[in-house]
Amino acid sequence: MQSLDVISINLWQILISLINLLLIFFIIKKFLFKPVKKLFATRQAELDDRYASAENAEKQALVNKDAWEQKMQSAEAEAKTILQSATENAKYRGEKIVEEARTRADSILRQAEIEASLERKKAEDGIRREIVEVSGALTEKMLGREINTQDHRVLIDSFIDEIGNEDDTDR
Amino acid sequence: MEEKHRLFVAVDILYICMMVLPIVFGIVLRILTAPPTEGISITGARILFTVPMPIQDLPITEAQVNSWLVMISITGLCLFLTHGLQIRKVSKRQHLAEWIVEKLDNMVRESMGEFFMVFSPFIAAIFALSAISSLSSLLGVYAPTADVNVVAGWGILVFILITYYKLKGGLLNYLKGYTEPIAVMIPLNILGEIATPVSMTFRHYGNVLSGSVIAVLIAAALQALSSLVLGWLPGFLGDIPFLQIGLPAILSLYFDVFSSCMQAYIFAMLTMLNISGGFPQELYEKRMEKKLARKKKAAESI
Repeated sequence: MQSLDVISINLWQILISLINLLLIFFIIKKFLFKPVKKLFATRQAELDDRYASAENAEKQALVNKDAWEQKMQSAEAEAKTILQSATENAKYRGEKIVEEARTRADSILRQAEIEASLERKKAEDGIRREIVEVSGALTEKMLGREINTQDHRVLIDSFIDEIGNEDDTDR
Repeated sequence: MEEKHRLFVAVDILYICMMVLPIVFGIVLRILTAPPTEGISITGARILFTVPMPIQDLPITEAQVNSWLVMISITGLCLFLTHGLQIRKVSKRQHLAEWIVEKLDNMVRESMGEFFMVFSPFIAAIFALSAISSLSSLLGVYAPTADVNVVAGWGILVFILITYYKLKGGLLNYLKGYTEPIAVMIPLNILGEIATPVSMTFRHYGNVLSGSVIAVLIAAALQALSSLVLGWLPGFLGDIPFLQIGLPAILSLYFDVFSSCMQAYIFAMLTMLNISGGFPQELYEKRMEKKLARKKKAAESI
């Protein structure tokens, strides 16, 4: 087996080596750099996409939040008005009820008073009549004669009234 | 799903075979073509056969074959690394592929600038070819970079690229560059221009070759020392060069591993610096502006 000298220049070998380097350049470019660069690009694109969608979602969320806040505020106001009207209503009703109760109580009281006074008058009249009769009978006995009750009635009445008045002043 | 997975694994195995088999083939070829005599000889690559060509016959040597094998290996590696790329659930090899691409992009961006970003696969090619070619000597294969012709091809390609980017500033400006600072300097400038690829080539080639030469010399010296010191051992024990154990391994760690990576890095770095350093950016931009203005004028006149 022959060997080359340690230094032996050969044009064809140089040319082949040059072409070899070019070839390996194209091979590395096509099989290593191109796929990896493509991968980087797609990854970047996906990342950008993600960011964009996240930003959109955030924006949407903010809009939703605003809407909800507004809704909440209006709901609060509504609740407030409802509460106010309810309390007012309740107050009004309560007052009405109390008033009604008072008027009714008043009417009952008045009726009771009227009844009581009527009763009293009746009793007074009864007593007076009795007294007239008793005093008539007593006088009859004392005088020994019959008294016309009808005739003396006025007299007796005035008498009793006098007694009653005396009683009243005495008391 | 199961079938898909099986297919994926099968393709993976194919790529791994594509990476490993060429190197195995290189080792086998080395062993098969080994000369019968085990003398100490420092020669170039073995010639497998010669192809008659005009001007100069083309000997197909070990270095040539090995460089093709390394190329196939690199292709397999690229295919393997980028097999099954995914946006999420990134695998280890994808991490490696992304790391390589990002690192190289950053390196090129830092030392060459944004304009030369197309160069990152080229730098990757130089780096991979140089480093893996040199490292293949670890496996006993003749390193393609120990052949001056292989590295000279790369150097000439780099020289062509340097000149191409220098010419982007205009032919007149390029020629004027040789007369600076004074016209007397023309020969020296031309020499300097040519010296760039030559120095790059010989630096790389010399480093790798000297590594293997030193390894051979040390192995021979150790063998001699071993037979001198331990020759009294009975029987075949005396023939075993015990002193060869250890020291060559440590030296190979420097000459093969460190030096290979270092030279690949230096070659890639010099390529970047020379190309971007020679590129006259201001002149190029001026020319582009002029061209644009002319185009505009032409468009307006129409």
